[in-house]
Amino acid sequence: MKGFYLYCIRDRTDPNSKFLMRGINGGKVFIIPYQSIEATVSEVSLKEFGSDEIQKRAQEDLKWIKEKAQLHEKVVERAMKGKGRVLSIIPMKFGTIFKTKKKLEETLKKYYSKFKKTLENLKGKQEWGVKVYLDRQAFNKEIKKVSPVVQEKEKEIASMPEGTAYFMQKQVDDAVSKEADKALQNYGESFFENLRKYTAAGTKGKILEKELTGKSLPMVLNMIFLVSEEKLKGFIKEVNKLNKEYKPRGFNFEYSGPWPPYNFI
Amino acid sequence: MSKHPQKIKISETDIKSPMGRLSKDEKVTLIDALDKVLEKGAVISGDVAIRVADVDLIYLGLRVLVTSISKAEELSGKSFSNRERELTKEELEYLARLEKEIRRAEASIPKLIDAKNPKKAEQGIAKLVLTLIELLRRLMEKEVVRRMQKKSLSKIEIQKLGMTFKALGKKMEELKTVFGLEDEELNLDLGPLGNLM
Repeated sequence: MKGFYLYCIRDRTDPNSKFLMRGINGGKVFIIPYQSIEATVSEVSLKEFGSDEIQKRAQEDLKWIKEKAQLHEKVVERAMKGKGRVLSIIPMKFGTIFKTKKKLEETLKKYYSKFKKTLENLKGKQEWGVKVYLDRQAFNKEIKKVSPVVQEKEKEIASMPEGTAYFMQKQVDDAVSKEADKALQNYGESFFENLRKYTAAGTKGKILEKELTGKSLPMVLNMIFLVSEEKLKGFIKEVNKLNKEYKPRGFNFEYSGPWPPYNFI
Repeated sequence: MSKHPQKIKISETDIKSPMGRLSKDEKVTLIDALDKVLEKGAVISGDVAIRVADVDLIYLGLRVLVTSISKAEELSGKSFSNRERELTKEELEYLARLEKEIRRAEASIPKLIDAKNPKKAEQGIAKLVLTLIELLRRLMEKEVVRRMQKKSLSKIEIQKLGMTFKALGKKMEELKTVFGLEDEELNLDLGPLGNLM
């Protein structure tokens, strides 16, 4: 028995264009239309995907999840690609399967007005991510520079015996670190607010650990925005400007996109 | 479906990055993609919904998966669910394999020291020893600062301790240089327990 794995929903496109790619279970990716929208799907074996075995795998087999989730993403990204432009789509969360075509069509019918409205809202907008990494040492140095208390303390330390000075310095460094943590919050807020002005919507994502990013600098901010096509240039310019302006204070901005609008549906 | 022999085939790179996404970083992009697909996105009720384990637990495992493939192999027998239950056959096998690994490692430690590449073995051992010293140094330093704040140390004691720790710190730097180790390397990955420091 075959089931239908649903990747995303979008406005009706040219019925002659084909996906030419394989989906999550090796089945051809194709379109099921309903009125002025269409669902991007591929067939999956219900024997495999409906069973307890697959649920167990999804719970425990990371490699399996990684592979399948990547395939899901590939199909969604392909569906987003129009002729020279980004189509607005509603990407589904991983793992929604219908037992029959009829059931899927019923669902399309049931939520039709909701889907239409969401697609309308997303029209001409793209999801972009901006991640900020921080060189803590450079940042702490900046914080030290602007703190009169720290300046004073460090002067004091200079005249202390070496051993005592060692511990005093440790304490000052700790205090600077704490101060820097607080300042960092404010910087983060202002970056977000600043970029938010160029966008239709914004949210914050997970801070990924160094082990995950493989970068030498830690991530301190993960922002996700929904950007209108016509404001995209200005948005990217602003990210580049922030990057340049705040580099001396240890900040490093990286942007990526366009993503399917997973965060804004 | 009718055949379109003249249709241009979409190249592999096209499929990989159909939007020509602007991002320098493949690793971060991969994690982003997984995060979005597994956690975000529209939810509608289908007939079957693949239930993915607690996403935070996936992250725990992904950390290993993305960092090193070989480690992920080790982990693939490991369950990420936290239900109370009997050990499965695979898990028992996994534990047995782990036990064998431990025995094998135990047996090869003396051999490692006279390995063909003494420099490398030396660095490994130095890393282990220095990591432990660094851990102790930090713990003791914290303790001294705590006592200083409680004012239970005399000026002379503080001065002496300060010099000692400073000297120890300098010595550590020297040793790190000798063995070609970076600060970041002085840490131990305790597997599921996380990092030592």
